[in-house]
Amino acid sequence: PARWLRRACMPDRLERLATLAANLLDTRIPLTLDDIAERVPGYPPDRASFKRQFERDKATLREIGVPVNVETLDHLGGEVGYRIRPEEYALPPLHLTPDETAALHIAVHAIAIEGDDARAALWKLGGTTQTGIAPVGLIPSFPALATLFDAYRARAAATFTYRGEERILDPYGLVFARGHWYVAGFDHDREAIRSFRVDRIDGEVQIGPPDTVERPADLDVCALVTNNPAQFADGDAIAVDLLVDAPHVDEARRRYPDATVTPHPNGAVVTVPVTSVDAFLGSVLAFLDGVTVLGPDTVRAAIITHLEDCAQGFA
Amino acid sequence: MSRPLVGPRLRRALAYLPWIASHPGASLDELAVRFDVRRADLERDLELLPFVGLPPYTPDRLIEVDIVDDCVWVRFADAFSAPLRFSAEEGVALLAAGTALLEVPGSDPDGPLAGALTKLAAALNAPHAVHVDVNAPDALTVVQDAIEGQRCLRMTYYSYHRNAQTERIIEPVSVAALLGHWYVRAYCRSAHAERLFRVDRIDTIALLDEEYTATLDSDDAAVYSPAVDDPRVTLQLPPDARWVLDTYPIEHQRLCPDGRIEVTLAVSTPEFLDRLLLRLGPSVEVAPSSVRRHAADTADRVLQRYRDATLADHAGVGG
Repeated sequence: PARWLRRACMPDRLERLATLAANLLDTRIPLTLDDIAERVPGYPPDRASFKRQFERDKATLREIGVPVNVETLDHLGGEVGYRIRPEEYALPPLHLTPDETAALHIAVHAIAIEGDDARAALWKLGGTTQTGIAPVGLIPSFPALATLFDAYRARAAATFTYRGEERILDPYGLVFARGHWYVAGFDHDREAIRSFRVDRIDGEVQIGPPDTVERPADLDVCALVTNNPAQFADGDAIAVDLLVDAPHVDEARRRYPDATVTPHPNGAVVTVPVTSVDAFLGSVLAFLDGVTVLGPDTVRAAIITHLEDCAQGFA
Repeated sequence: MSRPLVGPRLRRALAYLPWIASHPGASLDELAVRFDVRRADLERDLELLPFVGLPPYTPDRLIEVDIVDDCVWVRFADAFSAPLRFSAEEGVALLAAGTALLEVPGSDPDGPLAGALTKLAAALNAPHAVHVDVNAPDALTVVQDAIEGQRCLRMTYYSYHRNAQTERIIEPVSVAALLGHWYVRAYCRSAHAERLFRVDRIDTIALLDEEYTATLDSDDAAVYSPAVDDPRVTLQLPPDARWVLDTYPIEHQRLCPDGRIEVTLAVSTPEFLDRLLLRLGPSVEVAPSSVRRHAADTADRVLQRYRDATLADHAGVGG
C-alpha cells in the first residue's frame, strides 16, 4: 500500500495496535495468525518474533478492556482464530440526559477514586470541560475489586485466598465502608453469609462458571458489612474489660461500637468483644494512660509484658 | 516527561475518535481538556492515526484526520464509531464515585445523579453491585451549614493528639472524607492556626451567628499537611508493620535490603509519636534516638496505672 512504502521508520506501536483492532472488528470470520500477518502491517517478518509481538498486542488490547475472542475454526480443522465482536466491543447506549452526564462528571471529580479508571470512563462519555470541583472524598482501589465485580455480574462464584485459606464466595455485593472495601456473599465452606476485606485478599481472584449464583432479593448488603464486625475474623470473640477514664469514654464508644459501657467512678468500664487480641491491644495502647485493661488475666498480662518491653527496650 | 505507554494512548484514542466524528471541528484545546491529555501528545497521536485502517490501505480505507486552524475533523474511522465499552475497573470506579457522592449529606436522592447511576448499573449488568456507607457523623450537616454561611462553630472536641477534650471556636472552611473519616479544615481560634478536625470526634457543636472573614485558602484540598517545622522522625519498620503506611501520612518511604521499610513522617505532637512507638514495640529502629527515651517514659507512665490498679478496681467490675 502506497502510504506504507513512503514510511522511512518503523510504525509506532499505536498504529499497529489500532490497525489490529480495526481488522479484528471488521471480520465476520475469525482471523488466523496467517491472516493477521498478511493483513496487519508493522509486525516483524520472522514467525517467532511475530507471534511474540502479536501476543503482546493481544494482551495490551485486553488490558484496556477490548474483548479479543479466541475461537476454534472447524472448517480449518480446529485451528485457532481471533476476532472482536462489535456488539461486545461497543459501549451500549446509556441514554443519559445532559444533567445526568454532568452529575457523573461532578461525582468523579468530587470523589477521587485511586487510579485513572473513573476519569477514563468519563472520556467514553465525551469528557468534560467543567472545572473547579474540589475533591471531597477519596476511595482506594484494588485489582481484586474489578474481578469480584465481574464475578457479581456473571452470577459466578469467586475463589480467593484469604488469610492463608482458600475461600469460595457467591458475591452479593461490594461495599465501601469505614475506609475499606468489603465483598459480602455466601461462603461455601462456612455455609453462611460472610464479609471479606478486599485489601486482605492474597493474589488473584478466580471466577467460576457463570449463572450459578442466586442473589437473595431485598438484601441489605451494607448492613451485612457494617453491623457484623464479629463475622470478619473467624474464631470466638472473648470479652475484654477496659477501665476508661472520663475524657476518653466517648472516643472509646466510637472506637468499639459493639462494646457495652458501664459507668465507673473513673469514667466507665467498657467491655469489648475481641477476636484478634493483638490488633485490639494496639488500639488500646493508642489511649496511652487513659485506658487500662482489667481482664481477662491473659490479655492484661499480655499488655503489661508489652509495656515492660517498651519501658526497657526504648530506654 | 516520559512518553505515556501505548495501552493508555489507545484507550484514549478509542474514546476521542467517535467523539470527534460526532463533534466535527472540535478544537485541539477543547479536546485536550475533555480527554485529560497534553495537547502535544494528542497532536502526535492524531498524526499517527492516518496510518490506521483496513486492507488494502488505500485512502478510502484509512482514517483521515484533518487539522485546520487547530480544529480537528475525522473521517473513515467507522471501525471505531462507538466508544469502547466500560472495563470492569472503569465500571466499579464510576459506580463507586457516584454512589459515594449520592450518600454525602446534601445530595438529592432523586436527582440526576441517582438517575445516572441507575442507568449505568443497568448498562453494566450490575444493579445493586456497589454500595457506599459514607458514615456521615451527625455533626457533619452543622459543619456544612457553617461553611456555607461562613459562620463560626463552637464545639467540644476530643483531641486525639492530646488525649483530651477541649472547647474551641473554629472558622470552618471545607470538609473532606478520607479513607473512612470526615475531616473539617478550619482556622482554630484557640490555637491561632489552621487545624484539621475529625468530625466524628466533635462531641457537642453549636452553629454561631457570628460570620468570619476567611483567612485560609478554601481551594486547598489537602487533608493532612504537616507543618514545615514539625519535627521529622525516621523509622525502620518490620514487614508486618506495613499498616503504618496505610494509617499515617508518610513523607518518604524506602525498602531496605533486609526487607524492613524505612519511613519518614512528621510528628505533630509527642503523644502521637509515643502512641505509634508503643504500638510498634521496642524492636523498631527510630531516629533521632531522643524520641526513644520519651517513649520509654510514656510506657513507664502507662505501666504505673497497672501497678496502681488495686484489687478495688477489679472489685468495682462485675467479674
